[in-house]
Amino acid sequence: MERASTKGVLGHLSLLETQMRSCRGKHQQLNRTEQLKAKVEALCVQKEQLKVELHTLQRLQKVRSTLDGNGADDEMDDDSENADILQLMAKCARLKDLLHAHHLIGGYDVVKTRQDKGLCITLTTAYEGIYLDTYHLEMDLSPKLRISRHDIPPFIPLNSLVETTTQTALRPFLDFLSQHLNAFTGRKQQLKLVKEQHKSVEVMESNVLCSVLVLLVRVPERKLPVLCILDYTDHSRSLPTGVKFECDDEPPNFEQWKKSCRILLERPVHKALITMKSLGCIV
Amino acid sequence: MNDPGKCLLKRVIRRIPANMLKTTLSHWGRVSDAQLQSVDFTTSKWALTEKLLNICEENELTVKHVTELEMIHVIDYPNLGMWYAFQLFDPDDAAPSVDMTQFKEQFKFHLSKLMRNVSVKIKKHTDEAIWIRVAWGDGFSRPNHMKPTYVVHHLQSSYVFVTRLTSKLKPLLSQALVLSTRYQGIKDANLSGRNLAALRNLLMRQYQQVFSTKFSTPLAEKSENISNPQIEREQAESATKRHQMACEAFGDGVLPQLQSAVYKLETKFRDHNNKTMTDREEPFKCIVKFTSTNLLESLRHCASSGIASTPVTPLLSSVPVKGRNYFVITDNVPGSSSQTNRPQK
Amino acid sequence: MSLLKPFSKLPNINTASILLVESEEHLQQSLADVLVEESSITVNVRLAKSLPLPKENDKDRPRIDLVVFIINLSSEQSFISAEASLKYLDPGYFLGKVCFMVTSARSAAVPTERMDAVRKLAASLHSPLLFAEHQTSEGVAAAAERLLGILKVSAGVVPMTTALYLSNLTRCTLPTDIEQPSFD
Repeated sequence: MERASTKGVLGHLSLLETQMRSCRGKHQQLNRTEQLKAKVEALCVQKEQLKVELHTLQRLQKVRSTLDGNGADDEMDDDSENADILQLMAKCARLKDLLHAHHLIGGYDVVKTRQDKGLCITLTTAYEGIYLDTYHLEMDLSPKLRISRHDIPPFIPLNSLVETTTQTALRPFLDFLSQHLNAFTGRKQQLKLVKEQHKSVEVMESNVLCSVLVLLVRVPERKLPVLCILDYTDHSRSLPTGVKFECDDEPPNFEQWKKSCRILLERPVHKALITMKSLGCIV
Repeated sequence: MNDPGKCLLKRVIRRIPANMLKTTLSHWGRVSDAQLQSVDFTTSKWALTEKLLNICEENELTVKHVTELEMIHVIDYPNLGMWYAFQLFDPDDAAPSVDMTQFKEQFKFHLSKLMRNVSVKIKKHTDEAIWIRVAWGDGFSRPNHMKPTYVVHHLQSSYVFVTRLTSKLKPLLSQALVLSTRYQGIKDANLSGRNLAALRNLLMRQYQQVFSTKFSTPLAEKSENISNPQIEREQAESATKRHQMACEAFGDGVLPQLQSAVYKLETKFRDHNNKTMTDREEPFKCIVKFTSTNLLESLRHCASSGIASTPVTPLLSSVPVKGRNYFVITDNVPGSSSQTNRPQK
Repeated sequence: MSLLKPFSKLPNINTASILLVESEEHLQQSLADVLVEESSITVNVRLAKSLPLPKENDKDRPRIDLVVFIINLSSEQSFISAEASLKYLDPGYFLGKVCFMVTSARSAAVPTERMDAVRKLAASLHSPLLFAEHQTSEGVAAAAERLLGILKVSAGVVPMTTALYLSNLTRCTLPTDIEQPSFD
């Protein structure tokens, strides 16, 4: 109080005001807790009542279902015409769902933007049934079809893709781009899986485009290190186009390595490594 | 160790924060564990430097080894200087298959051909980035390790980030880069900033961009938070629309940290009330500069709070869309310079 | 042009509605949070950036008993926006159902002319002018207390007084020092 008086009349007044406010707040709080407690009790009683009701209802239903167990089938036959229509409607709904599903997964997802002046295309990528990154393209429709904004990483040669596919055909361009993106995310995912699943294999080198992959594998005899160089020259595929082995000491078992080469060319790298392990080519 | 080496070591030790010194030194690997144990890291930097100088003498380390230490430090703390982005264009057929060893050899070879006394150090960082440290000398003097240029490049990405490069040496570095990455040319990407990761994220589009899609975005879900039923926003709809537009223009979440955006205007002065200025033939030159600790987030806030009008003007949204923060704006006269960014309205 | 009218709707029992207009939206939300905690009456708060209010909300908007224009003195835009919004109010509001609230008045960077302009505006519209501290929670609570006082009267829940009567006592009057033209 003494402190307030030094600040003058206005200070004192504001102090009183805050005191009043806090006082009212406390009072209110007490009131409120009492109210809430009463409400809790009331709700508990209601809950018990509802439980009992539900129980009786369930028992009643059980009894009823045992009584007219096969009466339902007869009813269906009586109303056969009605049932046909219902079935057709169900089929129609199913087809509509399928169509929608196709739109979501098979087709490209296109949305109009900016008062129908633009399009926004969503490209989803997946690898082995797992959805990975989603990419978007925003296009201007007039005066001519043009990409105005996108979030595709710059190392995907978008411009050259636009040039190679004609301006008029949007679908081939999208197919091509989608293939490219799927291949890229596929390679990235493979690399991730290799790092996760194969602790004995060392990833020596890779790049942002995941187009070069250098792995250090070890041969069972003498734990000899061998460099395995995978080259993904065709960027629209997630499988390598070239495989090379390099070894410092001596030329490795020729036949065996040729076989390994074939495995690596045919299968995703993380799976190929599993096969090679089971064949005993590497540890 | 000679004098330049000592100088460099002193400077590097001075720059590394005291709490990081031990880890950085062990990372360096030129000082044995026993020697590291003998150093008391709680003493002053000056005493520490003396001790480390002795250890380096003992291990017969040279300037070359000290530059490694500097590189480790710069990789850990890249945001100390101004970084400039450059873009490589027109890749050769061989460009996609250039690998690290090839690049390393080629770069060193081409640069040493262009300049006699030059010291190059190349290191691959864990995130696939290639870090290059170039210490320049000239025809007669030895490389000056006190003023090195740092270059960061991701193979196959067409962007190069450079710091501490003088304009005299730019053509040399450019040529070496172009030849070793198998591109036809290199140009200024008109993007600069103090935060290297931000520049990289902006150009590689590694930040959360917003597009309008059919699916409800996290953006829409976020805005549906429950509030007191007694409080109602009258213009909530237009506010969410503004926010959506702002996020579409600049991105959502944490945005790359840019410090400035510069617009150089070279347009004719247009004002009907001011005849003397409007009638002048030559363009009215001025520079508009926006600065902020995080420019993109500031701009986004301006647009979403309604201070700046929406849809966002292309002049501002060009910063994230084109990935540059230096623009020259000229009048859009047919057949004028190709620098025209956008007609001034 | 849709005018906001003070008596176009029926009031609800023991309820008061207040409209906070602020172009920056700094103080609005925190002030609203304090206002709805009032226990003696139900307070409905509507927030807006500027007037006119969107037509689609007309139906479920309660009768607005008090319109508060919050002006941040450190920004010119804030004043201009409030001034522009005024013309979307029915003249009936100016019989004691409008008030102005000024923030950042203590900031040294504020030009005195702007303060004078706000004062003149409030005085010419016979409305009270309040000052608020928006950076501290005590300041917001105090501002809410002041507004509640006026709101209760203008909503008609305080017996024996009316908004018009109160406004005669609380309205901003122009101090002589800025009104008087100099004689030199």
